[in-house]
Amino acid sequence: MNAITTDWRARAANQTRLAFGQALLELGAREPRTVVLSADTQDLLGIRTYIERFPERFVELGIAEQNTIGVASGLATTGLRPYVCAYAPFITARSMEQVRNDVAYANQRVVIGAGASGISLGVAGGTHHALEDIALMRSLPNMTVIIPADADQAYRATLATLDIDGPVYMRLGGRVEEPPHTGVDTPFQLGRALELRPGNDIAIIACGAMVDLAVKASDQLKSEGINARVLNMHTIKPFDLDAVLKAAAETRGIVTAEEHHLVGGLGGAVADLLSIERPTRMRMIGMPDVFAVVGPTVKVREKYGMSVAAIVNACRELLEKR
Amino acid sequence: MKETKADLIKRLEGEARQVRRNIWRALRAGGSGHAGGSSSAADILAALYFHRMRVRPAQPKWPDRDRFVLSKGHANAALGAVLAQAGFIDEAVLDKFYAFESPFGMHPDIKMNGVEMCTGALGHGLAIAMGMALGARMQKKDFHTFVMVGDGELHEGSNWEAAMAASHYQLANLTVIVDYNKIAQSGPLNELIDIHPLVDKWRAFGFEVKEIDGHNMAEIIDTLDALPLNAERPSAIIAHTIKGKGVSFAENTYMWHSNNVNDEIHAKAIAELAR
Repeated sequence: MNAITTDWRARAANQTRLAFGQALLELGAREPRTVVLSADTQDLLGIRTYIERFPERFVELGIAEQNTIGVASGLATTGLRPYVCAYAPFITARSMEQVRNDVAYANQRVVIGAGASGISLGVAGGTHHALEDIALMRSLPNMTVIIPADADQAYRATLATLDIDGPVYMRLGGRVEEPPHTGVDTPFQLGRALELRPGNDIAIIACGAMVDLAVKASDQLKSEGINARVLNMHTIKPFDLDAVLKAAAETRGIVTAEEHHLVGGLGGAVADLLSIERPTRMRMIGMPDVFAVVGPTVKVREKYGMSVAAIVNACRELLEKR
Repeated sequence: MKETKADLIKRLEGEARQVRRNIWRALRAGGSGHAGGSSSAADILAALYFHRMRVRPAQPKWPDRDRFVLSKGHANAALGAVLAQAGFIDEAVLDKFYAFESPFGMHPDIKMNGVEMCTGALGHGLAIAMGMALGARMQKKDFHTFVMVGDGELHEGSNWEAAMAASHYQLANLTVIVDYNKIAQSGPLNELIDIHPLVDKWRAFGFEVKEIDGHNMAEIIDTLDALPLNAERPSAIIAHTIKGKGVSFAENTYMWHSNNVNDEIHAKAIAELAR
């Protein structure tokens, strides 16, 4: 096991998508019912080592997302544990009906590893951005939605799917480095937000790639004497209501940050909860209601306010204006 | 005493007639329903459940059972009928068609014993059945997976994704049955989008194809008994059928794709099916 734990980190190269693929290798060894499905996504999720090791428990389905989800559902009914490797924009929007009916409605144990989410494929343009996938997946009953922030968390979250008796959508990044924030010994607790920075002035609730920016924003605010709590909200469903309510009670406002449209994502989930349970002053960082331009991921993020500076400003604004 | 072929045919024809009566029973309970596509499938369903398929109604989740996926889920009245006749569900469930909180709605639901998948949104079943067939192969199980698709359903492109992949994996343990009744919700299929030439299509996608009369029980049995049609390919049975088969006023008309059924209409249908 040690060989696996040391090797995988190097291979994952600080990318959640590759950590998912590496975790499948360990899952394959631990759970003989594991089956991995690819929709021409072998390199996206870094599963070539898995394929070499477990060729009889791998299925390539080609560029056919609808079929891939249907096949995964059928496999699951026979007692196998399918892991679908896919592009976030295609596996959600294109095969939404298969995910909804064959997987969520039929409550089959299918795990969807969705790489290239958000605007990680920035230069590919709007057809290849996934900025509505959280909203789509979290709207489905039975579905668990996980958004790991870094490779360690992605690895552990993938292993944790062994104990989730139902469908899972795991939102993963693209070929963009996701700096480590999760301790190497930090366990993955489904549905329990992970506090990365303490603080009672303000709280930043972030997910995925925005967690890194949230931590950096908090560190910057700290030098100004502002203590910004950072919560890594790695599970969107089931949602950690307690952590959000606690943050609302103990701080003077909440900033959410996500690489996703502001409709129906993390910010929406926080706002839904707080508007009913504890009206709280909020700012939401994320994609406005437009399709993103083409460009390098970080620059495109910045253009739409997904940056450390924008998070810092949102925090300041909440603290200054009452 | 071993059942002769003639006896077998007679028995299955009797079951099929009962399936049709039970379809109309369910439709009366629901007040409406898909008489056309349910009735066209009745003979094949009877042959599958009362002859060809290896199932244990008292043990619906028996891991080695043959699978049947009704991809044309709007024919659920027919599936409910065979499941009731085979003993998967209580016959009384037929009177709960469309009822509040019933497991027996317009479309199949996995919550009902014997139903393998929630279907009804068209173009899903073949992919799911392919997954079941692959699952059998991976686990070295010898069960066979059947999936019935509608002809109009073949407009959905997802079918052809699944067909391409199923033949790539040479899934001889998979059989698709096309209920080719030639009429869809809005009218004759060839006036909507023609699916002809259907045999050539399945063949081009790598299936071993056989065309049959979907109401000729001897032909149905012979074909099902001959499966797989090819040891290295999935099989496609193109069953020429009559929409609404068995009840004259419901036959061959899109009006009876789905229609209202009251006591009077039910009585008329049953009278025709009593013969």
